[in-house]
Amino acid sequence: MTAVAQRVRTRNRTRLRGFLLALPPVLVIAFFIGLPVIAAIAYTFGYSGGINSVVAALAQKQHLVDGAAPTFDAYREVLGDSSFRTDLLVTVIVTIVTVVLVMVLSWAIALYARFSRGVLAKLVTALAVVPMFIPVVIASYAILTFYSTDGFTRTLFHLLGWEDSPALAYKMTGVTVGQVWTHLPFGVLLISSGLSSVPDTLIDAARDAGASMSRAVRAVMIPMAALPTIIVATFTGIGVLGSFTVPYLIGPNAPNMLGVSMAQYYQSFNQAQQAVVMAVVVFVLAAGIGYFYVRANAKSARGSGRL
Amino acid sequence: MSLRIEAVSKVLGGRTIVDSLDLEVETGQLASLLGPSGCGKTTTLRMIGGFLRPDAGQVLIDGQDVTAIAPERRPTAMVFQNYALWPHMTVFKNIAFGLKLRRMPRDEIRSRVEDVLRTVNLLHHIDSHPGQISGGEQQRVALARALVLEPKVLLLDEPLSNLDAKLRERVRDDIREIQQRVGITTVLVTHDQDEALSISDKVAVMTGGRIDQYDPPSTIYRAPRTRFVADFVGTMNLLRATVHDDHVATGDVKIPVRGAALGVEGEWDVGVRPEDVRVSPSEGAPAQVARVIPRGHYTELVLMLGEQRLRAFVGPGSGDDLPEGATAHIEISRALLYREGLLHQA
Repeated sequence: MTAVAQRVRTRNRTRLRGFLLALPPVLVIAFFIGLPVIAAIAYTFGYSGGINSVVAALAQKQHLVDGAAPTFDAYREVLGDSSFRTDLLVTVIVTIVTVVLVMVLSWAIALYARFSRGVLAKLVTALAVVPMFIPVVIASYAILTFYSTDGFTRTLFHLLGWEDSPALAYKMTGVTVGQVWTHLPFGVLLISSGLSSVPDTLIDAARDAGASMSRAVRAVMIPMAALPTIIVATFTGIGVLGSFTVPYLIGPNAPNMLGVSMAQYYQSFNQAQQAVVMAVVVFVLAAGIGYFYVRANAKSARGSGRL
Repeated sequence: MSLRIEAVSKVLGGRTIVDSLDLEVETGQLASLLGPSGCGKTTTLRMIGGFLRPDAGQVLIDGQDVTAIAPERRPTAMVFQNYALWPHMTVFKNIAFGLKLRRMPRDEIRSRVEDVLRTVNLLHHIDSHPGQISGGEQQRVALARALVLEPKVLLLDEPLSNLDAKLRERVRDDIREIQQRVGITTVLVTHDQDEALSISDKVAVMTGGRIDQYDPPSTIYRAPRTRFVADFVGTMNLLRATVHDDHVATGDVKIPVRGAALGVEGEWDVGVRPEDVRVSPSEGAPAQVARVIPRGHYTELVLMLGEQRLRAFVGPGSGDDLPEGATAHIEISRALLYREGLLHQA
C-alpha cells in the first residue's frame, strides 16, 4: 500500500470514528425532538395517523385530511381569529419592547462596569445578575406583590399623595417589566464579557486619533461587541416569544401572549390542533430571529478564519 | 523647543511612578526613554499623550501648555505597544479614521492614506484586515495611522517589543528613516538599550521615576553619569577598588591603567567597559580565564581577578585564542570612577 493510500485510509477511519461518536446524541435529538416536531407540523395539516393518533382521538374541533392532500383549514381558522391576531400582535410588541429595553439596560450597565473601577460599579453589576438565580415563578409573584393594585408601589404613591397611580400588574406593561427582569442578567453578563474583551488600548487609540469617548465607544466598542449583542437580542427575542410563566402569572386574561394562549387552547379548550398551529407560527417567528444569530456567527467565524 | 516637560509627577496606587521629571525634546529629534520595567517611562509617555493627567507639573508642546487637554485634542499621535489596530476595520479604515473625524473631503482622505501607505511600503495591503497581515506590517500600519494625522509629536510605546529579533532590527531602521524623512519630533519608550542607542538623537535613562541622564547615545555609553546608568546601559565591569594614579588595586591584584592618569586616589567604584580591557600574554595583571564565549565578530572572556569577575571583549589575535583555565594578563585603557553613585568628573 502506498503512503498516500495509507494516509487516505487513516483519514477516513478518523472521520468515521468522529461520525460514530456524534451519532448517539444526533439520534436522540432526531427521535425525541425532530420526530415530534415533524409529527406536530403534519398534524396542523390534518394528518392524524401515527404518533398523532392519540391526541387526534382526544382533541376536538379538528380539521383532518380527507385523502392524501393536506388541509390548511386549521391555519385558516386560527389566522382568521381576531383574538389570535391580537395575541400575536401583543406577543410581537412585548418581544420587541423587551429586546430593546434589555439591550439598552444591558449596554448601559456593561459600559458603566467597563469604565468605572469603583465599588458602586461592582455592586451594580453584581445586582444586575441576581435575577438569574431566582426562579421565574418566585420572581413573577414578587413583581405582582410590587406592582399590583394593593402592592408596594401603589401604597407608596398613595402615602405620598398620588391617589390614582397606575397598577402595572395584570397588564402587558407588567408582563414587559417581568420579561425585562428575567432576561436582563443574561444580557448584562454577555455584553459585559464582550466589552471586557476589548482592550483599553483600542479605545485609547481611537481617542488618540481624535475621537471623543462616545465616538470611540460607537466606532470601536459597539462593532467589536456586535456578536454578543446579537446573541443577547436573538436569545431574548426567542425566549420572550415562547415565554409562558411571566405572562401567565403577571398578564391579563386577554389579550395575552401566545405562550398562554397555546396552553389555554391545548389544556382548557382541548383544541390541540389550533394550539400546535400557534406553536408553528411562534416557531416561524423564532426561526426568523434565529437567522440573524446564525448569520452573525457565520460572519464572525469568517472574520476570524474559522469558516 | 517642540516638547517640554516641567517637573511632572504622577502617583498611582499610592506609589510615586514619576517624580518631578524634566525633559526637553527639540523639533525633529527622536528622544528615547530607556529604563527597566516600572521606572515610569510609559507613564511619562501617557502623560505626554494625555491619557494620564499629571499630579504636578506641566507638559508643553511648542510652548503651549497641554497638560489639561484631552488626548483627542492634543497635537500628538501614539503608536501603541501591541499596535492597537482596530480588527474590524481594514488598513484603509484604520488609517482614515482620524482624518474622517477631522471632516476631510473623501478624495483627500483617500490620497493621504495612499501617500502614507506608500511611505511605509504597504499600499498593496490597503484593503486587508489587520488579522491578514504580519506583525511587522501591523506595526507599520500603526505607524502610518499615527503619521497620517501629521502630529507635532509622535509617541512610540515599545513599538518593537512584539517583533522577532531580525524583524525588530529592520522595522527599527524603517522607523528612524521615516522619522528623519518626515522630520517629526518623536519620543520612544523602550527597555531595549540597543534600540534606544541605535535610533535616538538623545536618550533619557530613567530609574525610580526620574531621569538619571539625558544625553546623546555616545555620551550615555562612553560617560554614564551615574553608577545606575553605567550598569544599565551596555556591559560594564564595576569593581570596588583602590585607585592610584596609574593603576587600580582590587585585593592583591594591581591592574595597570594606560593612557591619561586617573588623577585621584582612594576607594572608588571603578567602571570598565569590556572593550577597554586589554588582554596580553605577558603584560599587566594576571587573571584566570574562567569562560570563553564566542560572540561572532569578537570573543567575550570572563576573567577572575582573585574574587572579582571581569569581562573583556577581544578581537582576533588579541587574546581570543586563550583557553579556559589559562592565565591572561590584563590592562585597562579607560576607567570611570564613581563615588556615592556619581561619576567623578576629572
